[in-house]
Amino acid sequence: MSATPLLELRGIDKGFGPVQVLRDVNLTVYPGEVTALVGDNGAGKSTLVKCVSGIYAIDSGQIFFEGLPVSVNSPRDAATLGLEVVYQDLALCDNLDIVQNMFLGREKRSGLVLDEPTMEQLAAETLASLSVRTVKSLRQHASSLSGGQRQTVAIAKAVLWNSKVVILDEPTAALGVAQTAQVLELVRRLADRGLAVVLISHNMNDVFAISDRIATLYLGRMAAQVKTTDVTHSQIVELITAGRSGNLGLSENGGPR
Amino acid sequence: MRAGPSQDEVRRQNLGALLRYVHVHGPISRAELTTRLGLNRSTIGALTADLTAAGLVREEAPRGARRAGRPSLVVLPESARVYAYALSIEVDRLRAARVGLGGEVLDERVYDRPRDLRVSEVVGPLSAFVKEMQHAAPDGGRYVGVGVAVAGMVRRHDGLVRLTPKAGWVDEPLSEPLSEALGGDHTVLVGNHADLALMAEHLRGVAVDTEDVIYLHGEVGIGAGIIAHGALITGHGGYAGEVGHMIVHPGGRTCSSCGARGCWESEIGEEALLRALGTDGSGRIPAHQLIAAMRGDPGSHEALRQIGEWLGLGVANLVNIFNPEMVIFGGTLRNLYLTTAAQVRSRLNSLALPASRELLRLRTPKLGEDAALIGAAELAFTQLLADPLGLTSQSP
Repeated sequence: MSATPLLELRGIDKGFGPVQVLRDVNLTVYPGEVTALVGDNGAGKSTLVKCVSGIYAIDSGQIFFEGLPVSVNSPRDAATLGLEVVYQDLALCDNLDIVQNMFLGREKRSGLVLDEPTMEQLAAETLASLSVRTVKSLRQHASSLSGGQRQTVAIAKAVLWNSKVVILDEPTAALGVAQTAQVLELVRRLADRGLAVVLISHNMNDVFAISDRIATLYLGRMAAQVKTTDVTHSQIVELITAGRSGNLGLSENGGPR
Repeated sequence: MRAGPSQDEVRRQNLGALLRYVHVHGPISRAELTTRLGLNRSTIGALTADLTAAGLVREEAPRGARRAGRPSLVVLPESARVYAYALSIEVDRLRAARVGLGGEVLDERVYDRPRDLRVSEVVGPLSAFVKEMQHAAPDGGRYVGVGVAVAGMVRRHDGLVRLTPKAGWVDEPLSEPLSEALGGDHTVLVGNHADLALMAEHLRGVAVDTEDVIYLHGEVGIGAGIIAHGALITGHGGYAGEVGHMIVHPGGRTCSSCGARGCWESEIGEEALLRALGTDGSGRIPAHQLIAAMRGDPGSHEALRQIGEWLGLGVANLVNIFNPEMVIFGGTLRNLYLTTAAQVRSRLNSLALPASRELLRLRTPKLGEDAALIGAAELAFTQLLADPLGLTSQSP
């Protein structure tokens, strides 16, 4: 849709000792779109996310944010740029309530004390702006939330902090049908508000339901990045399992075409 | 040749435009209204004063503004005081809501409906709900009208209900008996469920800012609301959008609703889901739990994929005909789409023409199950928004 990618990776290489995990990986992520990142276990999805979010240092390659080259050396750098990662299960602190979780580490103060009313109001406004109707009380502890509600709160946190890129790692794994539907709709709405969303998923229905582009990693290489309106389920499955499908994907010798 | 519009007509137009803006977009400052509506400051001031005097809007000082100068007042709809009743006749339930100006649901009642309940028997519980809510409503409110969404075919000019899937209704008047039961002082406007849900999504849901959009509603049968180039397609008699009876499988099953063979509805409607679950098509699993039941039953996974293929095939036909920018999956189709999207998309991508599908967005409703109710309320608000102060009704 949009001309300038919000996030662009060029030629990312990453190895751990003798093991080369990512080789010459390119990825472009546009605002207003959901880019699905798919690949078999061990294809390098999580490593790629950790490189972008500053947990791992890249060996070579470049990261561009809003068209400008940046270096991401720590998760704090990533947060400053406006990049938020929502992990599958590490998303919330069980012993804190929803408001405390959403403001964790970035609490609002009024003088010496915390400004609870303002934080509660901002949290409520954020959830309402995302049409979230499933959360009853903002003061309930995270431990009492269902899986879907936890994801919802974690995603809303990214919106509250005006993140520009949100990376979601398997947000619907282990959720039931109803909760999966709610989380998928929330992720879609996030992109429709203009954010750039990266969705990591093994579930092809989730991928086809809400993504605009699909990027397939195969053994540490980017096999193809295609528009969701141009491919079929079986083509994506072939890209995941063989690295190519027809004229898509890597060439015979494993290199890019 | 006709002279230009009279002063009164211009005023009515402007009052309508201002009220509609506040109704659709919510609280907004006077300053912003002048830019949005392209009217000057004093006109906005006068119009707002008229609407305030009529009790339709009110003004407040803006919250938390700390800029220099006198802050511009915020105009907001009198949602709690000006309201309409929205009714929804669905296959398995009856719903009634009191909806305030601005689209806020203020009160709601739901009644499980036995499937064989006839029109005459629907009027009773629905009018009872309205009376009950009217009784509970705060004093000093203003009740502007009633809108009804029916999951069936509705004749455009008088709201006659022609056919409701599986309910056995054929040619039943609804608007008149309902209006009579409510005391006869308000007209009751009737619309098709999918059309009204689409209207609501287009006005304040996922399809805002779209000009070409199709809303598919699944319940027992399948229906559609279609907006092409900004206008709702009603058809000559009001029956357009019966996509459930599009033939997708010649020689397929006989459709229990229309009698033809191979209707889309026979492949993706409630009966198809129940059949896939191994029941005879008459089981009593609530529609919203069907997909969850199928996901939990490994035996029906293949059947579910098949149904997804049929869903994609039908959507591909519609995309080739209408070239919409968005297709919305509502009712039972919401879950069906989300759980079979790989099949739906693959089918669509292989059957719809590349040029017709390249910018197509597939979405689920933002207003969820309330879409048709909100749409019915919009129907009831139409007259008020066209002429907020009743300037024309005084000289019929």
